[in-house]
Amino acid sequence: MTTSVAIEQPKSNSLSSCVFSFIPGVILLAAIGYAGKFIEQSVSRYGKSHHLSLPNIEYVLWAILIGLAISNTVRIPELFKAGIVTYEFWLKVGIVLLGARFLLGDVIKLGGLSLALVVIELALAIVLMTALGRVFKLSPKLTTLLAVGSSICGVSAIIAAKGAIDADDEDSSLAIAAILALGAIALFTFPFIGHLLGMSNHAYGLWSGLAVDNTAEAVAAGALYSDAAGKIAVLAKTARNAMIGFVVLGYAIYWASKGQAQTVHNKALFLWQKFPKFVLGFLLISILATAGAFDRDQIASLGNLSRWAFLLTFAGVGLRTNLREMRKQGLRPFIVGALGEIVIAAVTLGLVLGADRVFHLS
Amino acid sequence: MSSGKLNLSLDGWAVALALLLALLVRLNIFLKIPW
Repeated sequence: MTTSVAIEQPKSNSLSSCVFSFIPGVILLAAIGYAGKFIEQSVSRYGKSHHLSLPNIEYVLWAILIGLAISNTVRIPELFKAGIVTYEFWLKVGIVLLGARFLLGDVIKLGGLSLALVVIELALAIVLMTALGRVFKLSPKLTTLLAVGSSICGVSAIIAAKGAIDADDEDSSLAIAAILALGAIALFTFPFIGHLLGMSNHAYGLWSGLAVDNTAEAVAAGALYSDAAGKIAVLAKTARNAMIGFVVLGYAIYWASKGQAQTVHNKALFLWQKFPKFVLGFLLISILATAGAFDRDQIASLGNLSRWAFLLTFAGVGLRTNLREMRKQGLRPFIVGALGEIVIAAVTLGLVLGADRVFHLS
Repeated sequence: MSSGKLNLSLDGWAVALALLLALLVRLNIFLKIPW
């Protein structure tokens, strides 16, 4: 998660021209996100004024659906592209600001539990994906990328691992396409399963943070369930992201031992380079809030700023999901990813429900 | 996203902006942010 990969680098080196190139796309993200919020409020107002019981469809889903409709029906002009990919930047801004709504004690308690479950999930995902990759005869490096993507944090982890294990571009794009397609499916299946099982906000949030791969989709899947579930999903996913360096380092050492990647000389530096720095920002804001640096109104304001940042992210998730492009990718990586994800989702669901019974999460 | 000596990763920029926003809220320069 340490990469600046998602943002295409403008040709000019000037900071001001770089910022200006993002503006059209960011305005598009804001317009789509706000349209989602507007539709949710309008539907709710219409239902109340006409005494109708209309289903409450959250702004998160509207924003994703509007983005999906645009990206899959019209060709988005080049002018908007640099700004659209900033959705990952807004995701991280939102996560750091959300730290204000967590007391450090809660971070340690829930983050500690998340980390314990993450270790089990990591081991399961790596073993399972490696076995499935062999059965379906995927290339070993594609299998590694799928294992990294499904065990930690999706696209960012795949890109971080790509350089460390000297994987080629084709394997990386296949793994990314599979992880994105599975993330899109999770957005619609996870809330449905959560409601079906009557899961608590805490349990559901923990589950989506542990089982949905890409950070943006994990946060969206949590927020689609409820605001409280979204908050817990962010914490669980952040704990999972913090493990990225260890897994990528493990694979880098493995491939270097086979002579197929460069040797890692300074392991501590490697871990620091791969560590997602926004986790430190999240912890810092949480420590400040716990120390009483903000009053109640200020914490509410920071929480709302975080929601505005996530609004841009959800619009970007929809705009980024191009179903036609996904169909062009190979079927076997998708099948391996899907089979692995189903097992991981089922096992983490069992773990979370077990933890809920033992620790009474809600 | 770099300019001369100013060279931060995506995470670095995100943390910097979030901390700046938190500071503006703390100093009451940003009063109540609505949702």
